[in-house]
Amino acid sequence: MKVIEWERDRIVFRFFGVKWDWAIEPRYWRPHIIGIGILFVTPIVLYFVYPPLLATFIEGSLLPCIVLPVILMLIGTGRFNFGPQFFVGVGGFTAGLLSIHFGLGPGITLLAAAAAGLLTGLIFSPLTLLAGGIYFALLTLLLPLIFLEITFVFDIFKGDTGLSGIPFLINFPNFTLNQLLYAFFALALMLIYLTITDRLLRSRYALQMAAINDDEEVANGLGVNISRIKIASFVGPAVMISIVGWFYAHYFGAFSSITYLPMTFMMKVFMALVIGGRGAWAIVLGGYVVTLIEVLLIRFAGNLSPILFPIIMLALLLIFREEGLFGLYRKRHYRDYKPHFKITK
Amino acid sequence: MAKELLKVTDVYKSFGGLTAVNGVSFSIYEGETVGLMGPNGAGKTTLINLISGTLPVDSGKIEFAGTDITNLPPWKRCKLGLARTYQIPRPFPGLLTSANIVVGALCGKDMTERSLMDASAEAMHYLEIVGLFHKRNVKAEELSLYELRLLELARALATTPKLILLDEVVAGLNPAEADEAVKLIERIKDYFGVTVLWIEHVMAVLMKAASRVIVLHYGQKIAEGSPQEVARNPQVIEAYLGEEVNV
Repeated sequence: MKVIEWERDRIVFRFFGVKWDWAIEPRYWRPHIIGIGILFVTPIVLYFVYPPLLATFIEGSLLPCIVLPVILMLIGTGRFNFGPQFFVGVGGFTAGLLSIHFGLGPGITLLAAAAAGLLTGLIFSPLTLLAGGIYFALLTLLLPLIFLEITFVFDIFKGDTGLSGIPFLINFPNFTLNQLLYAFFALALMLIYLTITDRLLRSRYALQMAAINDDEEVANGLGVNISRIKIASFVGPAVMISIVGWFYAHYFGAFSSITYLPMTFMMKVFMALVIGGRGAWAIVLGGYVVTLIEVLLIRFAGNLSPILFPIIMLALLLIFREEGLFGLYRKRHYRDYKPHFKITK
Repeated sequence: MAKELLKVTDVYKSFGGLTAVNGVSFSIYEGETVGLMGPNGAGKTTLINLISGTLPVDSGKIEFAGTDITNLPPWKRCKLGLARTYQIPRPFPGLLTSANIVVGALCGKDMTERSLMDASAEAMHYLEIVGLFHKRNVKAEELSLYELRLLELARALATTPKLILLDEVVAGLNPAEADEAVKLIERIKDYFGVTVLWIEHVMAVLMKAASRVIVLHYGQKIAEGSPQEVARNPQVIEAYLGEEVNV
């Protein structure tokens, strides 16, 4: 039997008795092509027009790289993880410590960060089976905070100063060119995550994840192996988020727990999720909007920005709580609507 | 002689000090429609939960199609051919009506050579059978109680069960809807050849639809037999109406 088979409107994959259909629907491609085109052109425009904004673009591209896995985790486990930045810390410290102490390059530390994410994800994944609702939220909220304390207790993490001297991922003499290449790297990572999320949300696994999200007991009774789906939905995104930590470490050449593990970083992640709205592209939009607001506040509000940022976020949260910014687009393009996945516990 | 499909042997279940199911034993044979009756709190739904695996048994044994399923998780029991509906309908509210059924069609049986598109096409068949095809693109949360009952039935059927456990299907329906639901179940039973274990509060329904009736009272089986035999059983009359009083 053929592994890949082309049919009139779809590609059929077969692997060890499991069959996947990938519908080819060019009439729905236009918004995606436009979106990707805009994202690829933006760094080039910024490079020539206003290079300092390249850093904002990179930050804006990396934020969805955390939020997209968080969405997968949220739907697939039926539980709200309030501490996804824990895995940013796992990936970042793994990359940083291995680079500094063992002189390993970014290629090896990428694998190590992913492996560390996988391992910690597996260690903490039973939480998805044992705890639900508010208990799961509290437990996951505590994870990054405990990790933060650990980084202060053990000198190897260098407390609030953090690790420094981590080799850069891209290191050409021209700083602006480096920023441009980082922007493309971050964009590529984001687009990979976007594709993974988008494909998953249209797959058989998304249906099982949504069923778990709505009522895991009923899903279990209908043949969904909920333990397997929940653990996979926790561990897979954990690896994805750890890789973002690896990128932060090799992008800045430094990694500090005080930057990524506190709740302020978590707030940015959730704001990107809420302000963007439903759907994978909405999260991308949310990531850029939140990063831009933060940068503009730092630029124009100075010392007041730490106070103004949460206030503005709160205001946006109240305004866009239902559909997010992307809801404005959906009103005109209702065919793009995706099923609503809600958290029941 | 029909083949034994479900065998429940000396099953017990307690919640704290309350014994909800107290040493119940019975068998169900292929092709039967067995009614499970009893007053409120008799342990009917608990027994269904034990059979479907939603609750673990304290002791006893449950065999299904010759396999000991006592300690199997619900999803494995479903794949063996055991499906159920719920007393209070429990759809996946955020999903479309069709997607609710696709879950059953996709996961309720062996997934070999079955893609999401295949399962979606199959789900349409079940939607048509129960008469919900026109609601296929409506979210389950927007359906009426009657439609939810039909959805649950279609979702259970989509798993291609050998035995279907129906938990008070006509509860809350008006007489016309209840009549329609009963006719639909009878039609489905013939069409798919499924065996039915049917919990019902409305005795008249089971008297008409069931070939055999089991009566529970305070977690114990007090009677078993044809509907007519059970209706005449003094213990059953007492359980439902209380002791005879001379006035």
